[in-house]
Amino acid sequence: MAAMKIFSCFKCLALTALLALVGGVAFMYAGIYPMGADVPHNRLTYWVLETLRERSVARASNGIQVPADLDSPERLLNGGADYNDMCSGCHLKPGKTQSDFTLGLYPAPPDLTEVHDTHGGDAEAEDRRRFWIIKHGIKASGMPAWAPGHDDERIWNMVAFLKRLPELSPEQYQILTARGDNNQDHH
Amino acid sequence: MKRKPLSWLLAVPALALTLSVQAHEPEEHMKDAEQPDCMAMKDMDHSTMDMNDPVMQAMMKKCMGAMHGDPSESDMEDSDHNTDTKESEGKKPAEHQH
Repeated sequence: MAAMKIFSCFKCLALTALLALVGGVAFMYAGIYPMGADVPHNRLTYWVLETLRERSVARASNGIQVPADLDSPERLLNGGADYNDMCSGCHLKPGKTQSDFTLGLYPAPPDLTEVHDTHGGDAEAEDRRRFWIIKHGIKASGMPAWAPGHDDERIWNMVAFLKRLPELSPEQYQILTARGDNNQDHH
Repeated sequence: MKRKPLSWLLAVPALALTLSVQAHEPEEHMKDAEQPDCMAMKDMDHSTMDMNDPVMQAMMKKCMGAMHGDPSESDMEDSDHNTDTKESEGKKPAEHQH
């Protein structure tokens, strides 16, 4: 009798799972999900995707060794020039509050000129996270993987620059990120 | 005979890959490189500048040439050096602005 009850319960669960699967596939093929970047996700979808992303990046970046010289002036200069060329269009620069990309991309790229604390003050975890994201990118977000064509040192330079970016004035940013060199007259 | 098309199949993606990598070389960006606006450093409040700060050191490094080329800038550098010395002696740095 008990075995029959368990079997019946199992059948019920299997049927529910099958119905959910068929419903999900039907929803997918019906094409009714709004895929446009100008229609935001509902809160549940957003939470699921954000949690998935953050947990995945945290796990994947966990063992990365952070260089001890991230605060060197050379790293700031090299990373600043690359940030300006590769990132500032989406992640902004001092004195700029929006761009076509920040208005049009969904999810909106984070404004890296502002302080973001995603690790409760654990600066090293934040450095590892940034390094991993720059190197590998984020699926379906507009964030590319920069590893092809950029070695780890170059990516760490950008991480070093990002650490100081929120406190830079527009004038400081311009000097640090300009690729031109005023040292021609230097003897 | 079959080797020729095969070598093309390998050569074209290899060339495309090489070009895409070159496009991200810093030298590629130098063609239309922006010059640092070192004159802006004149208007900064030097009394609040920390010469041990990597941002400050990076800016000085970037603008070293401009400062040595412009006599007014060398004044600034001299006064910064004085500030440095005074700081190292434990005295209050001179509060001045150019």
